[in-house]
Amino acid sequence: MATPLRRLLPYHQRYRTPFWAGMGGLLVARLFEAAIPLFLRDGIDLIVAGGTSIDAGASTLESAHAALVWPAIAIVLCVMARFACIVFARRAIRRIGIAVAYDLRKRVYGHLQRQGPAFFARHPTGDLMARAINDINLVRQLVGMGLRTILVIVFSAVVGFSAMMWLAPQLTVMLLLPLPIIAALGWVLSRRVFGQSLAVQEGFATLSEQVQENLNGIRTVQALVQENYEIARFDRVNESYAERFFRLTRTNSIIQGVMPWLGAVATVIILGFGGSLVLSGEMSVGTFTAFFTYVSMVLWPVRQAGQMVTLWQQGASGCERLFEVLDHAPEIEDTPSSTAPPTIVGQISFEGLRYRYPGTRAEVLKGIDLEIGAGETIAVLGRVGVGKTTLLKCMVRLLDPPPGSIRFDGVDVRCFPLAQLRHQVVLVPQDPFLFADVLRHNLSYDDPERDDALIWSAAEDADLRDTILAFADALETHVGERGVTLSGGQKQRSALTRGLIRGAPVLILDDCFSSVDTQTEERILKRLRAVRRGMTTLLVSHRVSTARHADRIIVLADGRVAETGTHEQLLAMDGWYAELDRIQRRKSRLLDALAKESA
Amino acid sequence: MTALRRDYSVFDAELAGRSFDARVVGRLFRWLAPHWRTALTSGILVLIASVLAILMPVVVTRVVIDGLLLADQPVLLPDFGMNALARLLASGTGLSVLAAACLLYMLLTTAWAVSAHFHRVYLARSVLGALKDLRHDLFAHLETRPAAFYDHVAVGRVMTRVTNDVEVLFQLLSGFGVLIGEFVPFFVALAIMLALDVQLTGVLMLAIPIVAVATYLFRRATRTVYRAIRQSISALNQNLQENLAGVQVVQLNLREARNLARYTEINRENRREENRAVELETFYGAFVDSLASAATGVILWLGGGAVLQESISLGSMVLFTQFVDMLFRPIVAVGEQYNVLFRAMASAERIFQALDWDERVHEPAAPAPLPERLAGAVEARNLCFSYPGGPLVLNRVSFRIEPGEKLAIVGATGSGKSTIVRLLARFYNFASGQLYLDGIDVTAIPTAELRRRIGIVLQDFHVFSGSVADNISLGNPGISREKVERSAELVHADAFIAQLPGGYDEPLLERGQNLSQGQRQLLAFARVLAADPEILVLDEATASIDTETELIIQDALKVLTAGRTSIIIAHRLQTIQECDRVLVLGHGEVKETGSHDELLAKGGIYRTLYELQFQDV
Repeated sequence: MATPLRRLLPYHQRYRTPFWAGMGGLLVARLFEAAIPLFLRDGIDLIVAGGTSIDAGASTLESAHAALVWPAIAIVLCVMARFACIVFARRAIRRIGIAVAYDLRKRVYGHLQRQGPAFFARHPTGDLMARAINDINLVRQLVGMGLRTILVIVFSAVVGFSAMMWLAPQLTVMLLLPLPIIAALGWVLSRRVFGQSLAVQEGFATLSEQVQENLNGIRTVQALVQENYEIARFDRVNESYAERFFRLTRTNSIIQGVMPWLGAVATVIILGFGGSLVLSGEMSVGTFTAFFTYVSMVLWPVRQAGQMVTLWQQGASGCERLFEVLDHAPEIEDTPSSTAPPTIVGQISFEGLRYRYPGTRAEVLKGIDLEIGAGETIAVLGRVGVGKTTLLKCMVRLLDPPPGSIRFDGVDVRCFPLAQLRHQVVLVPQDPFLFADVLRHNLSYDDPERDDALIWSAAEDADLRDTILAFADALETHVGERGVTLSGGQKQRSALTRGLIRGAPVLILDDCFSSVDTQTEERILKRLRAVRRGMTTLLVSHRVSTARHADRIIVLADGRVAETGTHEQLLAMDGWYAELDRIQRRKSRLLDALAKESA
Repeated sequence: MTALRRDYSVFDAELAGRSFDARVVGRLFRWLAPHWRTALTSGILVLIASVLAILMPVVVTRVVIDGLLLADQPVLLPDFGMNALARLLASGTGLSVLAAACLLYMLLTTAWAVSAHFHRVYLARSVLGALKDLRHDLFAHLETRPAAFYDHVAVGRVMTRVTNDVEVLFQLLSGFGVLIGEFVPFFVALAIMLALDVQLTGVLMLAIPIVAVATYLFRRATRTVYRAIRQSISALNQNLQENLAGVQVVQLNLREARNLARYTEINRENRREENRAVELETFYGAFVDSLASAATGVILWLGGGAVLQESISLGSMVLFTQFVDMLFRPIVAVGEQYNVLFRAMASAERIFQALDWDERVHEPAAPAPLPERLAGAVEARNLCFSYPGGPLVLNRVSFRIEPGEKLAIVGATGSGKSTIVRLLARFYNFASGQLYLDGIDVTAIPTAELRRRIGIVLQDFHVFSGSVADNISLGNPGISREKVERSAELVHADAFIAQLPGGYDEPLLERGQNLSQGQRQLLAFARVLAADPEILVLDEATASIDTETELIIQDALKVLTAGRTSIIIAHRLQTIQECDRVLVLGHGEVKETGSHDELLAKGGIYRTLYELQFQDV
C-alpha cells in the first residue's frame, strides 16, 4: 500500500467494528446469492423428473407441482436475506467514508485556523479550498467504495467458483481456463478508460480556461478586433474536447460490447461442453441452467475494476496533498511560562526589536527601542513599507518577535498564553474584514452573547451608532460577503467598534481611519481619548491630523525610531514629521481649490 | 421583451427551471438537426441490437434446452426460426446441431456487440457534434456582446454557461439515447413473453407498478436530500473560505473554538444528510437488484406448473428468467434521468437566455467608404454620454486633433477621461453629439473597420495565452515574423524577450503572470506598432514603475506616436510634456486646452492638478 494511504489508517481504525461487520455482511450476501441458482437447479430438475413421472403415471400433476413450492420459496427467502445483508453492509461501509470525511474536515479546519502568515503565503486560499473539498472527497470515495469493490470482486469469484466446482467439477475446470483471461482483459480495458477520462478532464479544464481568459479580456479582444481569431482558437479547443470525449465514449462502448462478448465465450462452453454432459446424462438440466447465473456472478463485478483503480490512485494522491497541509506545524508556538501575570496593565517596552520575514534577506525592523507607559496614547508614523504593521503584528504574535524584545509589564510577550495575550492586547488590523453575517455578530465578534448596551456604547464611540440606526434592520442588518453592502468608512468604523468593544488594557489601531473623513475622525479621536483614559493605545496613521491627538508621536524610518515627541516638539525638530505636516496642509488647500475651480 | 433583456439582474439570477418544457427541448433539437443522419443511424442500430439481444437467450433456451437437451417439444411455441437456423447451419457446415447452436449463439452475440457498439458511437457522434456547434454559437455570441453587457454581468456566471451548462445538456441528450436502448428491448421482450404465457407475464407485470412507485418515491426523496447535501456543502465551503480570508481577524478575536464549533455544526448536518442519502440509495439499489432474482421464484412456481401441464416448454420458462429483468430496467432508467432532466431544463434556459441577449453596438446600415489610409484628423462635437441609469459623465465635449498631432487628456479621477477612450473604441453608443474621423461620422463606420484604424492600448492590457510572437501579431497573417521582431525592437521590448528562455516563442502564462508591469506595457506597444493603425489611443498605466523602465517606456512611446495622430490619457509628467496639446477635463466638461507651458502659465485647474500630482514629496 502506498505510504500516504497508511496515514489514513488511524482514521479508518476508529470504525473497524462497522467495517468488519460490513465486510462480513458482503460475504454472507454473496453466499445467499450463490444459493439462488442451486434452488433454481433443484426446481428445474424437479420439473424434468415430474414431467417424466407424470408421463409414466407414477405421480399426479398436483403432487409434482407441490414439490416445486419449496425451491420457489427458498429462492424468495434467499433474495430477501441477500437484500438485507447488502443494505446493511453497504450502509455500514459507506457510512465509514462519510464519517472519515467528517473527521478529516474537522481536523483540517481546526488546523488551518492555527496557521500563521508564512503558511498562508505558501498556500493561497484557492489551494487550501481545493484540498479541503476535492481531496477529502477523493478520500471519502476511496474509503466508502475502494475496499468494497476489491472485496466484492474477490468474494464473488471465490464463492461462484466454489459453487460451480461443487456442482460440476469438469465443466468448471473448462471454464477456469478462459475466465482469468476474460477478467484480465476487462481489467486492461477499464484501465484504458482511466487515462482517457483524465484527457477529457484536461480538455474541459482547457476549455474553461480559454473561455474565462477571453471573457475577462473581452475589451482587449474587441478593441483589437480579435473576435474571429479568438472564436477560431476556441473552435480548436472545442473540437479537441469533443474529440477526446468521443474517444472516451468509444472506449467505454467497446468495453460494454467486448465484456459480454467474452462472457459469451463462457456461455458457449457451457452450451457445448455442458450440453454434451447433459446429453450423456452426467449433468442435469438444472445444473446446466445454474451455470449461466454463476458465470455472470463472477464476471459482473470485474467491470468495476477500472473505476476501482482510479479510486485508489486518486485517493492516494488526495491523501498525500491533505497530509502535506496537516503536517505543517503552526509557526507560532503557544508555550506559556508560569511567571506570566494573569492580567496585563499596559506598560510596554521594546528592546532592540529586529524582524526579518522568512525567505527574505533584508530586515524590516532593525532594532526598535521604545518605552511606553501604561495609559499612554502613542501615534506611529512613517513611510509606506517602513515596518509599522510588522511592529504591531509582533506585539500580538501574529509574527514572532525575537525572545525578550517585546515586554508587557516587564514580562516577555512569548511568556503569556496566546489566548491571554490576544485577549488583553487587541489589534484592529488595517483591512476591515467583515464576515457575511449580521452587524451584531460582526461587532461583537469575540463574544456573540455580549449585551446590546455594550455594543451600542462601543458603536457610539466609533461614531457608528447613527449609521446603524439608519439601517432598517439596525444591528440585524446583513453586511454581505466581506461587508460589500457597507461603504469603506462604515467598514472601518465597524472594525473599530469590534476592537473598542473589548475594553482591552492595550489597544492597537493599524491605520483605521484612512477611509473615514477628517471631521468624523476628529470626533472619534476625541471620544477615544475619554474612553481609553488610563489604558494604553497605539495608533498607526498617515495623517498628521490624526497623530496630533496622541500623547507622543513616534516616527519610524529605516527600521528604527527616527523621531519621538509631542506634536509641537516634532514640529520644532523640523524633521520628516514637520515636512509631512507642510505637504498635507498644502495638499488639502489645493484639493479645496480644485473643487472650487472645477465646479 | 427588450426591456427585460436589458435587466442585467435577470441575467445573473438563478433560473428556476422547475418543470419540463417541451419548447426548450424542441429548440435544443435544432442543433441536433444537422446531425440527423448520424442520429437516425444510431436509432436504427439500437433496434437491430435490441432484437439480437432478445434472440441470444432464445438460442440457449429454445434451441439447446428444449430442442436438444430435452428433445421434446410438447407444444409448438415461437422460437423465431432459431431451431431451423441452427439445423440449417449444422447441415451446411457438417457440425453437430449442438455445435451449430453454439456457433449461432456466437454469431448473434458478435452481431449484437457490433451493432450496439455502433449505436453508442453514432449517438455520441451526433450529440457531441450538436453540442460542439451549440458551444461555438454560444461563444461566438458572447464574444461579440458589447462592453456594457460585461460591465454588468459576472464573468463567472457567463462562463459556466459555455462550460457546465452545455455539459448538463450532454447528459440529457445521451440520456434520451439510453432510454431508447432500454425501452425497445422492453417491448420486444414483453411481446415474446405474452406470446409464450399470458398468465405468467400478467403476474410478472404486476411488479411494474411496484417498481414505478418505488422509483418515484426514491427520486422524490433523494431530490430533497440531494438539495440539502448541496446546500450543506456550499455552506461548508463558504464558511471555510470566509474563515481563511479573515483568518487574522479570527485569531485576533480568539474565535477559533467558536468557529470550529459552528463549522462542525454544518459538518454534522452534512453528515446527517449524506447518511440519509446512503440509506435511500442502498435500499433502492438493493431493491432493484433483487427484483429479477425474486421473480425467478415466481417463475419457478407458476412457470413450473405450466411446464408440468405442458402448456409451455422448460426452455420457455428459463427464457422468462432471462427476460424478466428487461421489464423493470426502463423504469429504473427513467428514474435515473429524472434528476438530470430538471438540471438540464435550468441549464438550457440559461443557455438560451444568453443566446437571446441581443444587445449590441449598432452597426451602420450603409457603411461609408473609407480611403486606404486615413489622414488621422479626429473631431468630437458636443459629445454627451452617461452610463445606463447613471449621471452624465461627458457633457458637450468638443475637441479637434489635426493629423499627426499628439493630444494629452488630463483630469482628476472620475472626470471622464477613460470614457472618451471607450467611446472612441465604440464600446458604447453615445446618446448625443458627433465623432468624426477625417470628417466621416464614426457611426457610419463598421465597428470592426473602425477598430482596425484606431489602435487602442487599454490600461488593463490583456495578455493572451500563447507565445510572445503570437501576442504581438495576434494571428494577423499580414504581420510577418520579421515585422513582429522589428516592432518589438523599435519599442525596446526585444531586450527582455531575448532573456526569456524561449525568446519570441516563450509561452506567456494566463494574464501574463510571468511578465512585469513594464514588460507588459512594452509588449502592448509592440502589438500596436505591428498593427500600424492610423490613430493611437493610449490609456497610460498608473502603476508605479522603476525609473529605468520608465525611461525605456517613454522612449518607446516616442517611436509609437511618431507621425501618428495620438490621444493619450496621460498620468506621467513627461508624457504630457511630449504632447503637442493638453486637454483638461473636469466633471465631464472640457475646462482648459493648450500646451503644457501655456496652461501652466495660465494658473488654472491644470496648474493645480500639476502641483498636486507632480510636485509632491
